[in-house]
Amino acid sequence: MKDELFTMTPELPAMSPELVARWQEEMRRNALRMKHFSEMVMSPKEPEVGPTPREQIYRTGKSRLWRYTSKRTVRTPLLFVPNLGISRPYIFDLMHKGSFIEHMTEQGFDFYLVDWGVFGAEDNDLTLEHAVTRILPRLARKALESSGASEMSVLGYCMGAPLSVSWLGSTPEFPLKNYVDMAGPIDFSKVGLFGLWLDPRYFDVDRFVDTLGAIPADMVKMGFKLLKPTMDLSTNLNLWWNLWNADYVSGFNALNQWANEYLPFPGEFFRQWVKDYYQQNRMIKGELTMGGKPVRLESIRCPVLAVGAKEDNIAPPGCVRPLIQAVASTDKEYIELPGGHISLIAGRGASLHCWPKVSSWLAARS
Amino acid sequence: MDEGTQAWLKMAGQGQPVDPQAFWRPFMDQGMQAWSKVMTQGTVSPDLMTQWKQFLDQWIAAWSKVLEQAMGTENFAQAMGKQLEGFLSVAAPVKKAAEQQVEAGLATLGLPSRSQVLGLAKQIAGLEEKIEGVEDRIDAVLARLDTAAAASKKERE
Repeated sequence: MKDELFTMTPELPAMSPELVARWQEEMRRNALRMKHFSEMVMSPKEPEVGPTPREQIYRTGKSRLWRYTSKRTVRTPLLFVPNLGISRPYIFDLMHKGSFIEHMTEQGFDFYLVDWGVFGAEDNDLTLEHAVTRILPRLARKALESSGASEMSVLGYCMGAPLSVSWLGSTPEFPLKNYVDMAGPIDFSKVGLFGLWLDPRYFDVDRFVDTLGAIPADMVKMGFKLLKPTMDLSTNLNLWWNLWNADYVSGFNALNQWANEYLPFPGEFFRQWVKDYYQQNRMIKGELTMGGKPVRLESIRCPVLAVGAKEDNIAPPGCVRPLIQAVASTDKEYIELPGGHISLIAGRGASLHCWPKVSSWLAARS
Repeated sequence: MDEGTQAWLKMAGQGQPVDPQAFWRPFMDQGMQAWSKVMTQGTVSPDLMTQWKQFLDQWIAAWSKVLEQAMGTENFAQAMGKQLEGFLSVAAPVKKAAEQQVEAGLATLGLPSRSQVLGLAKQIAGLEEKIEGVEDRIDAVLARLDTAAAASKKERE
């Protein structure tokens, strides 16, 4: 009986030493996956974000102007204008060796960041026009004063691009040296799913703002999650796959914290943002006014760089590129890089593809 | 992946009841082929995990594509608009009633209401704005004085 049982056991196929080594490596990774998983669940660490040293130059209301420490070897200072609401700006200085700001300061740029701040119910009357005609010019002036320079380059990212273009297009007297649009929508007729969902036939922005006052952070989050419903699934799958890698895990923790920290919109700001930009596309049509002055994109004559991301579903390349046709600059360039809206500016891909391109383009003209 | 997505979209577009198998079949066939290849090899290599990850990536990408196409339709936008309208219809009276109740409760206790606190915050923001306006004007006057002083100095020289 014993012999019969023995003979019924299938003979194990011989494994090559290479295969054994690979299995050992796989087992090691699985053990590390378990270790990092238990650390994430049992003793989660607060990720350290914003590693580049900075000082506050000015504060107006909730908004602040930050200047980052650098060698300042590039003569023209750079003003970075990000989105207002939606998310916090520490994504641009996420972590050591994974920070756009760190890269730019290492390249010698005198880097200023507009931090719009976190708006509450008391700011619901703040309009987009106020942000563009009062807050932004004041912060830009303070940046110029602080740097001692006579000219300044401006870089608008995401919503920061249409906001800064609206300001610069209505203020031709501002000493603008260069302009960079990174994943910033300009022609809102090509803005993808958000454009369709915010169409006036389906979305009554007046009723929305009149009812809710401000746009709560949870609603902003819902809108962005809906844009890519499988995002969380693929993020978690990739986390599991790379969970053995401690560097990946620390990067994930920082990015994940940022990605789940949404900010509300002031009600009146949102009303104007949706109506003038998404629904009526007034900026590219030349119908937009700011502070009583027309916004004329053709009044921008300095060197212009527009950067689109191939898989961007928030600001698809088609809505970024039209800036190049709209401005009157002779030195202008559009480039399309791999990645999505966030991976254009944060992460390993950005450090390889985007940051060197932007910094070298600017440095050559600063 | 494309085959499965197209089968699903074709059926959805033609108004036929959606057959999930039509979407899954190409994936399952691919998966079964990969499994049978592994089983016939005799020894199981760690590549199996990589193949499984690739399979899941493709599966997610396919669903993402299908969902993106479905959400990019006028029908979806219309349905979402209606959902939002329904939410606002409920939210507006509830919010108003809650605010009124809270205001009345705080007034009874002799405490400032939310709207009063917000009003105060707005007043402070307005004052700050006015101070900044004065600051801007002083800066402009100083700049003019500097220019005038420089011009008169030049004249004297």
